[in-house]
Amino acid sequence: MSMSLRHFFKHFPYTLSRYLTHPPYQYAAPLSLLSTLSFRNYEPTNHSTPSPLFTKKFSISSSVYTSLDTPSSPAYLSVRIRCQKHLIDDFSEALLCFGASSTSVDEEDGCESSDEIFIDSIFPESEDVDTCISCAVDSIGLKEIPSYEVKIGDQYNWIQKTQESFHPVKVTEGLWIVPEWRTPPMIKKSHEDTSTCTHISESSTFASSLQDGEATNIILNPGLAFGTGEHPTTMLCLLLLQGLIKGGELFLDYGTGSGILAIAAIKFGAALSVGVDIDPQAITSASHNAAVNNIGPDKLKLVLVPDNTRPPSKDEREDGLKNDHNSYQTGAIAEIDKYDVVIANILLNPLLELADDIVSHAKPGAVVGISGILSEQLSHIIDRYSTLLEGISVSQMDDWACVSGTKTNPADS
Amino acid sequence: MATLKEILTRRPVAATIRLTVPAGAARPAPPVGPALGQYRLNLMAFCKDFNARTQKYKPDTPMAVTITAFKDNTFEFTVKSPSVTWYLKKVAGIESGSGRPGHVVASTLSLKHIYEIAKVKQSDPYCQYMPLESICKSIIGTANSMGIKVVKELD
Repeated sequence: MSMSLRHFFKHFPYTLSRYLTHPPYQYAAPLSLLSTLSFRNYEPTNHSTPSPLFTKKFSISSSVYTSLDTPSSPAYLSVRIRCQKHLIDDFSEALLCFGASSTSVDEEDGCESSDEIFIDSIFPESEDVDTCISCAVDSIGLKEIPSYEVKIGDQYNWIQKTQESFHPVKVTEGLWIVPEWRTPPMIKKSHEDTSTCTHISESSTFASSLQDGEATNIILNPGLAFGTGEHPTTMLCLLLLQGLIKGGELFLDYGTGSGILAIAAIKFGAALSVGVDIDPQAITSASHNAAVNNIGPDKLKLVLVPDNTRPPSKDEREDGLKNDHNSYQTGAIAEIDKYDVVIANILLNPLLELADDIVSHAKPGAVVGISGILSEQLSHIIDRYSTLLEGISVSQMDDWACVSGTKTNPADS
Repeated sequence: MATLKEILTRRPVAATIRLTVPAGAARPAPPVGPALGQYRLNLMAFCKDFNARTQKYKPDTPMAVTITAFKDNTFEFTVKSPSVTWYLKKVAGIESGSGRPGHVVASTLSLKHIYEIAKVKQSDPYCQYMPLESICKSIIGTANSMGIKVVKELD
């Protein structure tokens, strides 16, 4: 098999045959060569354990991620393959079967009339690209391997591109979520000032919010945790929260993600917010966001809890130890029967499994909000929570729903 | 068959992306991250949406997702059930198909197994109008190409 592969090497424009010995090809500027060379000398023996050198690499650059402990996302290989148009579907499926993580095909604009098209495929770093492509080619019955080039994928590029798509979001009158790297909407009494915010498309509704006076701006850098404020479930929860927090409450954000709900609660006037999550990345993002919004550890606490639904993996235990320097973090698990408002915005299965746990943290008579569920999953949630909550009401936005109710007093049941 | 209204309001497509993601475990990290990040799609929205829609599958089943990214940075996606080969391997309890299909038998399955797999596959968007018998036949064909023998009944 390897003999037949030899004469296909002449098809490559260039190859990274042994990427361990060559420095990686980076097409985004910020990284200094020194840091990449030092990374490359490190022999990755086990690709699943996080590489400590990755965090150093990110701290040297000038991108938005400087202050965040970025996750050690493994490098990936990006392969660009020529292919004939009528074979794209079969070839993409075959590549996925044989080890590619993903394939993407750009749409032709119509000006190119050639028969060939490029497939961009992403492989995990440890994958043998050559074998995979030759197996895929065999399985669809192509006679010869098409030409392709392999590059080491650039972590920055895709992280930056997704950040670019994050614009200030208006949740409701007087409440905006603003990315850290954009200027918040300038709230001034004069209407001529809308010129500073031309990048916001709803300038007419924005003008009306100017008349409200001070709008609450929540500055956010979601990092890789969930909660930018744009998603319908986040919006539903924020609206619920706005109605509930009158001032001085204790709030529990179960599954805090970027910390957006916990921060919003403080801004609305809660006395204390506690955010719990099973993902260390979420805790990091949330503490960063709290700092950016000038909320101190006395008002906002974050707890990394073990994932009780799965056996802990080696990685999680190691990361849990590393996070001890985080001043927002407390070791204490959130207490039972303490909180005036509890909101859990996660997913259907965890919500069903952890129902008792979620409700146990609320005081009797306190409000519990549940979201992250599709409208079609509503009946399951209502069934499960009907024994725990009373006065259940549902709000919906697009395909998503939010359920809220008050915890039954033990004396009543 | 697209309606006239759909054709008129059809957004220009930027790219078609195919991915394999474990059910309920989409994260913004690779493989999802780079693949979608390239086209400036909202990663978090996709992850949340995908995780919510795959809640009914067993966690970590590899789902095939096809995402259509439009030029205005919006996207649509369809989730397909895992590939037939994955199901066959799981049911037969083997890691990979036989190295020499037709000569070396990797495992044996009964028609009942095939029927169960066909029922799951029928809920897939593109299989819905196919009679169950045709789906079974195509599964048997795949099984043969992997070196899995199909018998009427297992002892």
